[in-house]
Amino acid sequence: MAFNILVTDDSETMRAVIKKTVSMSGVPVGEFHEAANGKEALAILAGTWIDVILSDINMPEMGGMELLKKISEDEDLRKIPLIFITTEASEARQEEARKLGVAGYVKKPFQPEAIKAILYEVLEKAYAHRLEEKPCDDAGEESDF
Amino acid sequence: MDEDLRRVIFATFSEVFETMFFTFLEPLEEAPGREELGCDRFIEATIGYSGGCNGNFLFYFPWELGKNITVNFLGVDEDEASDSQIIDTAAETANMAIGSLLGKLDPGGTALLAIPKARLLAEFSPETLLAASGLCMFNTEFGILWVVGTHA
Repeated sequence: MAFNILVTDDSETMRAVIKKTVSMSGVPVGEFHEAANGKEALAILAGTWIDVILSDINMPEMGGMELLKKISEDEDLRKIPLIFITTEASEARQEEARKLGVAGYVKKPFQPEAIKAILYEVLEKAYAHRLEEKPCDDAGEESDF
Repeated sequence: MDEDLRRVIFATFSEVFETMFFTFLEPLEEAPGREELGCDRFIEATIGYSGGCNGNFLFYFPWELGKNITVNFLGVDEDEASDSQIIDTAAETANMAIGSLLGKLDPGGTALLAIPKARLLAEFSPETLLAASGLCMFNTEFGILWVVGTHA
């Protein structure tokens, strides 16, 4: 079974790069959804089934940390794992994210392998039963890593 | 700008450019002569941070360098990279470079990074940057990357 992934980043090119990296990782993807900030992400989450969120922190309107806080306060949304992909590399910021329940943390600049590793780790933790199922034909691209 | 800060900037920017764009930077100690610096198309990207420490950095990418890193970043052909993607990539590059730098200069996370901005400069001469005190220059295969920064 494939996973619906929400990519949240104010940079359109970064969203494209993340989508490409995930597509090449071998993770079975159902649909990609895109948001340019936390507000847009919450609007998508209100009406769409999302399995995992990949989000930047430093964004206009609503940043990733506030998005994570809103998600952690919502009984349904808090079940969705959120992974930060961000330049915010300080220990203090990572600790703040951990306290709010972040599922993973990837620092930019990143190697594609880092995204693949954390994504599998988080998905296995949250949806082990679904990863064991055979991927859909249209989503089962071979890994290029 | 002191030499230690210059060294940290070079190491940090090199990591970003090599990891994300397969582009190698070489620090340039001396600027080219004024007669070599004509007007050309550049992208100006700016980003700052404030809090426990404060800083502001301006990046000037020759258009060809901006195009090349965009092509490498997205993994597309040269004619597939749009102008808006090239400008967006310059902003994201500034974000990654200064975000990584801030992680080293401010490990306690007391400063907050602002949102990067980028714009196209249709006719720009780097000659105007030569007198700037925080000027760093990096040679690349696609021209000189000019950076003017302050950190306190």
